Amino acid sequence: MCMAKAINYEDKVRETKINIGSVILAPGSRGYDPSSLDYLGYGKYPNVVTSDGFERILSAGGPYYGHIMRPLDREEPKKIAWLQCVGSRDTNRACNGYCSSVCCMYAVKEAMIAKEHIKGDLDCVIFNMDLRTFGKDYEKYFLRGKDKEKIRFEKARVHTVTEIAETGDLKVRFADENGEIKEEAFSMVVLSVGLQVRQSAVELAKRLGIKLNQYNFAATDPFTPVCTSRPGFYTCGVFQGPKDIPESVTEASAAAGVAGADIAQARGKDVETIQMPEQIDISSEEPRIGVFVCNCGINIGGIVDVPEVQKYAATLPNVVYTDSNLFTCSQDTQEKIKEKITEQKLNRVVVASCSPKTHEAMFMETLEACGLNKYLFEMANIRNQNSWIHSKDGEAATEKSKDLIRMAVGRAATLKPLVEKVISVNSRALVIGGGIAGINASLTLAKQGFEVVLIEKEDGLGGFARQLNHTIEGANIRTYIEKLVADINSELKIEVLTNAQVSGFGGYKGNFETEITIAGDSKEKRVIKHGVIIVATGAEEYTPKEYLYGEDDRVITQTQLSYKIEKEGAKKLSGVVMIQCVGSRNSEMAECSRICCQAAVKNALEIKKLNPDTMVYILYRDIRTYGLLEDYYRQAREKGVIFIRFNQENPPEVKSSAEGILVRIKDHVLNKDLEISADILTLSAGMRAANTDDLSAIMKLNRNAEGYFIEAHVKLRPVDMPSDGIFVCGTAHAPKLISETISQAQAAASRAVTFLAKPTIKLSAINAKVDPEYCVKCLTCVRSCPFEVPVFNIEKKVIEIDEALCHGCGVCTAVCPRQTIQLGFYEDNQIISKIDALLSGGV
Amino acid sequence: MAEVIKLGGNKKSYIINKVKEILPEGGNLNLCLTCGACSSGCPATGLEEMDPRKFLRMAALGMDDEILKSEWPWMCTMCQRCIYICPMKIDIPQLVFNIRAMRPREERPKGILGSCDMAIRNESCSAMGTSPEDFTFVVEDVLAEYQESQPEFAEMQAPIDKVGAEFFLNQNSREPVTEPDEMVPLWKILHLAGADWTYGSKGWGGENYCMFIADNENWEKVVRTTAKQTDYLKCKTYLNTE
Repeated sequence: MCMAKAINYEDKVRETKINIGSVILAPGSRGYDPSSLDYLGYGKYPNVVTSDGFERILSAGGPYYGHIMRPLDREEPKKIAWLQCVGSRDTNRACNGYCSSVCCMYAVKEAMIAKEHIKGDLDCVIFNMDLRTFGKDYEKYFLRGKDKEKIRFEKARVHTVTEIAETGDLKVRFADENGEIKEEAFSMVVLSVGLQVRQSAVELAKRLGIKLNQYNFAATDPFTPVCTSRPGFYTCGVFQGPKDIPESVTEASAAAGVAGADIAQARGKDVETIQMPEQIDISSEEPRIGVFVCNCGINIGGIVDVPEVQKYAATLPNVVYTDSNLFTCSQDTQEKIKEKITEQKLNRVVVASCSPKTHEAMFMETLEACGLNKYLFEMANIRNQNSWIHSKDGEAATEKSKDLIRMAVGRAATLKPLVEKVISVNSRALVIGGGIAGINASLTLAKQGFEVVLIEKEDGLGGFARQLNHTIEGANIRTYIEKLVADINSELKIEVLTNAQVSGFGGYKGNFETEITIAGDSKEKRVIKHGVIIVATGAEEYTPKEYLYGEDDRVITQTQLSYKIEKEGAKKLSGVVMIQCVGSRNSEMAECSRICCQAAVKNALEIKKLNPDTMVYILYRDIRTYGLLEDYYRQAREKGVIFIRFNQENPPEVKSSAEGILVRIKDHVLNKDLEISADILTLSAGMRAANTDDLSAIMKLNRNAEGYFIEAHVKLRPVDMPSDGIFVCGTAHAPKLISETISQAQAAASRAVTFLAKPTIKLSAINAKVDPEYCVKCLTCVRSCPFEVPVFNIEKKVIEIDEALCHGCGVCTAVCPRQTIQLGFYEDNQIISKIDALLSGGV
Repeated sequence: MAEVIKLGGNKKSYIINKVKEILPEGGNLNLCLTCGACSSGCPATGLEEMDPRKFLRMAALGMDDEILKSEWPWMCTMCQRCIYICPMKIDIPQLVFNIRAMRPREERPKGILGSCDMAIRNESCSAMGTSPEDFTFVVEDVLAEYQESQPEFAEMQAPIDKVGAEFFLNQNSREPVTEPDEMVPLWKILHLAGADWTYGSKGWGGENYCMFIADNENWEKVVRTTAKQTDYLKCKTYLNTE
């Protein structure tokens, strides 16, 4: 079956003993199987598919090669419905009380991609109870889907799906917001199935003696989010609770961080280092180029005439060897390439396959293993930029492959060996911010054996969390912070500086120098040398301008309410109204603040506990109690909390009166105006990033429009910042819960350890160099560099570009009017040779 | 319904709370997600500008006067489609039932009230008030007619009070009185299937309007009468045709 012969079908179960110090459980989940929900018609009507099925339909490697067709008749759908909460938020038929957290976002994504694939008219409708796009930047994505792409969002749970026999279309029956029964026909129905722990994972947990919760997720504590019930056993991903990719990746790093802390003393043992051969000196050799053309299964070979292309490559100047492979990236092909490099005495290698973004590093390693400098390598992307795009015109794709390979060969001949500078790494970390995130990051680093300087701008540690009393699960936040502070004070590896702020910054990854100013009469300044930075500057509660806040002292925020009921109880309260999304999801702050729905539910439950007779009304737009928080939303309803939905266009009206605050709102079910008299009006004020204007200017750290720091990659590198050696965690990244903050802090520390654990690092040789002979010091490079790397050395009267700081982006190279700046690996002649090769084809 | 619904002040003892107390798990009556699945499947949606979601909502908001006055609970067929589809398994039918029971008996809808009264007049429990003797006469008369006119069914039986029969069959009350021929197709099926069955002279009336009128006492009386007759005849299975 497997064309690459990567699977050993004869393989047998083997038992192996390995010595380990800690274990991480990451058995993941599977999609809910909707077969038993008879009213949805899954398994009965071919055009009803699950969301994972639809992902396959969207995929270029899927059953229809990415063309969106419906299973029954392979027709392109005209109208698709997504049904949310299939197997989630359903304690009747599906027995899953939790929210799966990811389905709202993936439904919007699937609808967006479907609209993109089907160029003509495609109507998309997403049936939902609450739309839960609570992640970082997710609300903006949802708004784009709604307003720009015209995806319709229908607030309803669908009653039944039936097939229209003549057409294979599906009739969807639901009640609209006015209570009117509607029947609407769709070409396809996608069931947004939830996440569920696999039975095999349940059995594994049982064998290992790991406690699970009522839904079979690993039982964890809010303050130790990746620790299971058994010491030394950690968990991450959906097995810990429903979550999306960025959070799973974050949690994976967190689990690795705490698991690594347990066995920090053993770090560096049992490590096998690959011995690289001495580099061959090719300076006196003529170029001898080997070209390896990839079929990539059928991705390239199914469209491009690979044998023809290989034959052509053999005719190109300096090419002494050619070959073609089914999968050039496979392990056995690397061995084959190594063999040929040696046998054919190749001193340049060209691989014509896919993107250097994903595969260049691997092929470079193959070169190094043969003693060839890694910069003697070039790739031609004949897949992403060729066979995938020109899949309908094989002939043209074959010709373009030839052009791309000719260009690559042209450049390869001009490549020269480059030397990567090795620099030492200072193993101390600087953590900015002494809230829950900063403290946890510091403690995790210290447990891993690294020194930390933690700076906090206030005079005490704990950050915003000091204003909170307990989590929704009932865990005491104050005692937790006290314990954190005690831990950090007794940790010899951590130095805490309070009233301290960053006032100067220099250096580069592995060797930063930061100036700290300590507030007070003396304005003491200190310079700290460190190898990494963890940014944990936190966030605050928004101060509302809305709904009489600041005018009537009966109008307070959730944080204030929590404090009030802790102090005064709820005996005197007869009615409390809460308004959600104050300072969130509006024109001023597009994003959802993520935590306010649970904060409202938490306080409502606390009031009901203290005084069951107090009436609590929560006025909301979408209740976003994602994951296991859904249980608390259900508990709140059970205790009699009334939830009333409103639209952004029709917010509640609030009036002050002697008897109480009068809140007027239209009930979303009865379509009648309600007037509620309340003793207290509580505003669920959203989050605002802490003011980091100075810090971000001094350290050149990028923030988004909302003032939160930007990660290197939303999904794949969620706690790394774009510059090496700098990490972010907690609410400095985006609004999040304490448990999420803790795991992200542990993740940031864990990522920092991967950097600090090495005594030295190699710098990339792809950086800019100035030729002082021809430089006229016009300062164009100084003005143009996005990273402010080129500087004019006044003493020496030259422009200097620090290779440790240079990102290798090439901006200065391009703008230099005298062409005196060269970028390693992309020198002018190397690029011109490519253009020459292209033109020599007679374009 | 009032133009503006005023809410506030301490929690009062609303109807919904009283009903919750008598239901297992409180009938989940507080758990509504307002998703509308119940309304979209309910045969009574739209009647009286009402639907199950609105009805439950009014109960939740404590609009007890409006609920007690509404005729809508009497339009519910007790089909239970709402609870079947509800993600929170909310027992709306029980809420409806208990609200019906809160109306003074004499003010409940005349038609079904009359049928309940008829059923408790004699031991037939027939909503038409038919006596055991009249029922026995009609069954025997119709049977004889068919045995004669349709020779292939000459052997067909319609036993009444046959001791030890496998099945106890009840009967819609209207048919023996207004459409006696309508009883015969089922007899034929049972005959061809070789089923050993019997009617009871007592408790044969199949429908139970006392249940629909939320008259618990007489609902129980009707059920007990038919159950007692089934036990008396030592039948193993009770076949409810209604």
